[in-house]
Amino acid sequence: MSLLHIKDLRLGFKTLAGQVDVLHGIDLDIAAGEKIALVGESGSGKSVTARIVLGLLQETRTARINGTVQFDGQDINSMSARDRATLRGTEMSIIFQDPTSSLNPMFTIGNQFTEVLRRRDPKLSKADSHVRATTLLDEVAIPDPARVLRAYPFQLSGGMNQRVMIAMALANKPKLLLADEPGTALDVSVQAQTLTLMRDMVVQNGTSVLFISHNLGVVREFADRIYVIYRGNIVEDGPTDALFANPQHAYTRALMSAVPRITGVGIPEVPEVSDDFLAPRISHGDAL
Amino acid sequence: MSGFLRLLLNRLGISLIVLVGVSMLIFAIARIIPGDPARIALGPNANAEQIAKLRAEMHLDASLPVQYGHFVVDVLRGDLGTSLYTNRPVTQDIAQFLPATLELVFLAGFIMVAVGLPLGILAAHYRGRWQDHLVRVIALLTVSAPAFVWAVILMLLFAFYLPLFPIAGRISDIYDIERTTGFLTIDTLLAGNWTAFGSAVHHLILPAIALSLSGIGQAARLTRANMVETYDKPYIEMAQAYGFFPSRIARSYAFKPSLIPSLTIIGLDFAAMLGNAFLVEAVFAWPGLSRYGVAVILRKDLNAIMGTVLIIAITFLIVNIIVDLMIAFLNPRIRYSTRGTS
Ligand SMILES: Nc1ncnc2c1ncn2[C@@H]1O[C@H](COP(=O)(O)OP(=O)(O)O)[C@@H](O)[C@H]1O
Ligand SMILES: [Mg+2]
Repeated sequence: MSLLHIKDLRLGFKTLAGQVDVLHGIDLDIAAGEKIALVGESGSGKSVTARIVLGLLQETRTARINGTVQFDGQDINSMSARDRATLRGTEMSIIFQDPTSSLNPMFTIGNQFTEVLRRRDPKLSKADSHVRATTLLDEVAIPDPARVLRAYPFQLSGGMNQRVMIAMALANKPKLLLADEPGTALDVSVQAQTLTLMRDMVVQNGTSVLFISHNLGVVREFADRIYVIYRGNIVEDGPTDALFANPQHAYTRALMSAVPRITGVGIPEVPEVSDDFLAPRISHGDAL
Repeated sequence: MSGFLRLLLNRLGISLIVLVGVSMLIFAIARIIPGDPARIALGPNANAEQIAKLRAEMHLDASLPVQYGHFVVDVLRGDLGTSLYTNRPVTQDIAQFLPATLELVFLAGFIMVAVGLPLGILAAHYRGRWQDHLVRVIALLTVSAPAFVWAVILMLLFAFYLPLFPIAGRISDIYDIERTTGFLTIDTLLAGNWTAFGSAVHHLILPAIALSLSGIGQAARLTRANMVETYDKPYIEMAQAYGFFPSRIARSYAFKPSLIPSLTIIGLDFAAMLGNAFLVEAVFAWPGLSRYGVAVILRKDLNAIMGTVLIIAITFLIVNIIVDLMIAFLNPRIRYSTRGTS
C-alpha cells in the first residue's frame, strides 16, 4: 500500500467572478521510501497540491477541495483541522524555496530547532534539544554546529541555511518529505550540493519524498519516478529512466528540450503552447 | 563592547548634537519675538535707568553669540534663570509643572499602547472579517479629530452632561498632599491616602483619554498593517507547515516582528502628545508644563520659554532613546549588525 495515495483530486478557488478550477483530477501515489518528482511550469498546480497534502489549503476559506488524499491510510480531507495539524512537523514536513526567508529572523537556529523537536516531544528540555540539534547538524555536514545553533538565519549563508532546513525537516523522522522547489533561490552549485545532501539523507532515513520542480533536469538525478503536470492535469508519469528515454507526451518533450540541466532561478521557457499539450495522460507503468 | 552599549552611546551622542541645535534654535527664536523683555518684566512704570540695569543683568546688550554663551554656561550649571512671570527660578517652576504633564502623557501613552496594539492584532487576526472592519472604523474615528477637540467633546459628554468625571484640575481641593515627587498619583500613595489617590486618578482619566485617542487609531492601523504583511512571510507559512499552534504563531511569529516598525511610530506619537498636551491642559485647566509654557510665551518670559522648550526637547530625546533601545532589544538584526558565521 502506498504511503500517499491521491485519487481524482480536484481544487477550485471561489472568486468574485465565480469558481476558478486549478486541479482537474490528480492521481498520484508514493510508496514508502519512494522519491517522486512533480514537474511542471509555474502556475500548473504543484504548490497547491503540496499544501493540500500538508492539510494547509483546507483551512483557506475560498478553496474547494474534492477527491481522496490518503496519507498512511488516513484521509487528510475528512480529518479535523486539529488532526491535520498533528501530522504536520511530525509525520510530514516541508522544505521551501528560499531557506533564509523560511527561517524566522527573530529566533536563533537553536531556538527554532527546539520548537521543531518539541512537535514530536513536547516536554523536551532546552539542553536535550541542543544535544539532538548538534547531532542533526553534524549529519548534514555543518562544521561547528554549536556556533550555528547560536546564530540567527541572517548571519548564515544561503547554503548553510539550506542544510539547516534539511536537518530540521528530517529532525522528527517524518514518513513524507515535501520539497517545493528547494533551493531555487540559491546559486547553481550550492543548489546542486544541497540536493545531493538531501538525497543522501532521505535514502539513509528511508523517507518518502514529493519533490516539486519546474525543471526536469533538476529532478533527473533525484527522483525514482516523475509526474509531469500541466494546467492542473497529470499529462505523463513513469519511472525516471523510462520517461527520459521515451517521453511520449508533447508537453513532456517540450519541457525536456527547454531545460536540459540545473538552472539557478527562473522558469523554463517552454517553446510554444500547443494543443498537443492538452492530449490525454500517458502512463509508463511502474517498471521499465 | 556590546552592541547594546554601542547603540546607547551612539544615540546619546546624536541626542547631544540635537540638543545643541535645539538650544540654538530656541535661543534665536526667543530673541526674535518682538518687544523688550526687560521692559515687559518691569512693567510700564519702570524708568530708563531700571530698564538699562535689568538689560545688563540679562546680558541683553551683548552680541547674540555672547548671549548664547552665557545661556549655555548657565544651563550647564543647572541655572535656567529667573522667570519674569513667577519671579522664581525657572528650574523650580519646571519641577512644579513638569510632573503634572508627564503624569498625563505617561497615562495617555499607556492607554495608546494598551488599547491600540490589541485592536491592531485583533484586526490582523480577523483580516477581512467584521472585526477588522470595526477596528478600521474606530481607528478612522479617533484620528479624525485632534486631541483638543476630543478634550472638549469628552468634557461635555462625561463631565458636563453626564457628570461622571471632574471637569478640571488634578485632584479635589479637599486633599492636602505633600508634594514629594510632584506626581500626584505617587505622592498620594506615599502619603498612604487611598481616597486622594482615587481622586487623582479620577481627574487624570478624561484628559488622558482625550490625549491618547488619535494615537490609539494610529497604533491600531499600523500594527494591523505590519502584522498582515508579516503573515505573508515565508517563515509564517513554514511555522504553519510545521504544525505550530495558531495562537503561538500569532504571538511570537507574527506580532513580535510587527511590533518593531510600530514602536518607532508609537515613540513619535508619544512625543507628539507632549505638544498636544498644550491644548488638552488648557481645556481641562490642568496645571502642567504646557499651560505654563503658553502663559510664559504670551508674557515673553524669555528664561521660562527657553527652559520649557529645553525640557520638552530633552524629554522627547529620552523617549526616542528608550524606543531605539527597545527596538534593538527586540530585533536581533540590530543587536548583531555584523555577519558572524557563514
Ligand atoms: N489562495 C489562492 N487563491 C486563488 N488562486 C490561487 C491560490 N493559490 C494558488 N492559486 C492559483 O492556483 C494556481 C496554481 O498555483 P501553484 O500551485 O502555486 O502553482 P505552481 O505550480 O507554480 O506551484 C495558480 O494559477 C494560482 O494563481
Ligand atoms: Mg509553486
